Order: sequence, then structure tokens, then C-alpha cells
Amino acid sequence: MENKNTERPPKTWLLESILATLFCCLPLGIAGIVNASKVESRFYAGDVDGANRASSAAKKWTTWSFGLGIAGIILYMIFVFGFAASGAF
Amino acid sequence: MLRLEHFKFFKWAIVFILASFIIILYKYFNPSDYIYFPKCPLKSLTGIQCPGCGSQRAVHHLLNFEILNALRENVILVLALPYILTGFVFENLKKSDKRILKWRKILFGHKAIYIFLLFVLSFWIIRNII
Repeated sequence: MENKNTERPPKTWLLESILATLFCCLPLGIAGIVNASKVESRFYAGDVDGANRASSAAKKWTTWSFGLGIAGIILYMIFVFGFAASGAF
Repeated sequence: MLRLEHFKFFKWAIVFILASFIIILYKYFNPSDYIYFPKCPLKSLTGIQCPGCGSQRAVHHLLNFEILNALRENVILVLALPYILTGFVFENLKKSDKRILKWRKILFGHKAIYIFLLFVLSFWIIRNII
């Protein structure tokens, strides 16, 4: 999603990456936060294209960390319920 | 015939049902008492607490209005929630005049993000030392 608006920075994905950092997989979430700050600094340095690139990178990291987090939760659930069903607990 | 608005309605209906389910689940069940809640992989494997450890317990205490207990489980999460909510309000403001943009830059700009990151990383180190 290109943002040609020169007044307002493109979406930074900051909030989503903070949530991902605090609720699921940390390293990818932190990569998202770092990219969020790049969006801001590049935008206010006048580099709108760079800001857009950082925005899509932040989106990528945040989406991956949410995806992996949710996949991990589902795998864990299958594992625990599998054990519970087999009577191990 | 199904139109785009219908899909939007279904999307929000699913989000609403899921959110209510999660809120009820976390309000009435303390994650530390049941094995069914997901555990932090980092802590399970290495014993090191990550910055997010305790978030589920903190949410449980917050939903029961036990702020102090929530702070004890994960300070960063409890302090970050109002910040995140403010951020979503700023992101969804349709009009953006100079004053809003200025505040947006102060609260969610480059410097603010690095300060937040510094807090998260120092919290990570300190909680594993103490």
C-alpha cells in the first residue's frame, strides 16, 4: 500500500508489533518495532519512499510474528489436549 | 446477493465473538492454574523470562480489576496498554491537523519508539537478574 501523502507518515505497525512482542514471539516483534522507528525517521528526513519500504518491512515482521505466535499456540493446544486425551495427565 | 458490507459484518461478528470468548476465558481462569494456556517457549526451553512473560496472568488480574497483582506479573504490559490504546485512537483519527501530527510525533515518533524499546530491553535484563 503506497502512501503518497507527504504530511502524515505511512502506517508504522508500531502498536501491532508491541502487542506481538508482549504476547507472542519476541525477536520478530522487536524487528517490527525497529522498522516502525525507521518509518518515522525516514519520513521526517524527507525520504517518503524509504518510509514506505520500512512500513512494508514492519508489516512483514509483525505479520510473521503474529502468525508464528498463533501457530505455536495451536500446536501447543494440540499437544496438551493430545496428552490429556491419552490420559498422561 | 452478498456484498462487501456483508463480509465486513461477518468479519466484525467473528472478531466480536472471539474477543468475548477470550475475555471470559481470561477473566475466570488464572493461566497459572491450568496447563491448557500456552507457555512461553523461551522460558520453557532456557528458563529465561522474556519481556512478555506474565502477560496472560497480568491480563487475568486486570480483567478482575486487581491492578497491583497485574503490575507484579508484567509491568511493561500494564503500562503499555494505555499507550497502545492511545496509539490506536491516533491511527484512526480521520482528520490530521498540525496539532494532532505534532502530538503523534512526540508520542509515537522515532525517539519515543526507541525509548519504549529501551524500556522493554532493560525490563528484560532486570527481571532476569533480580
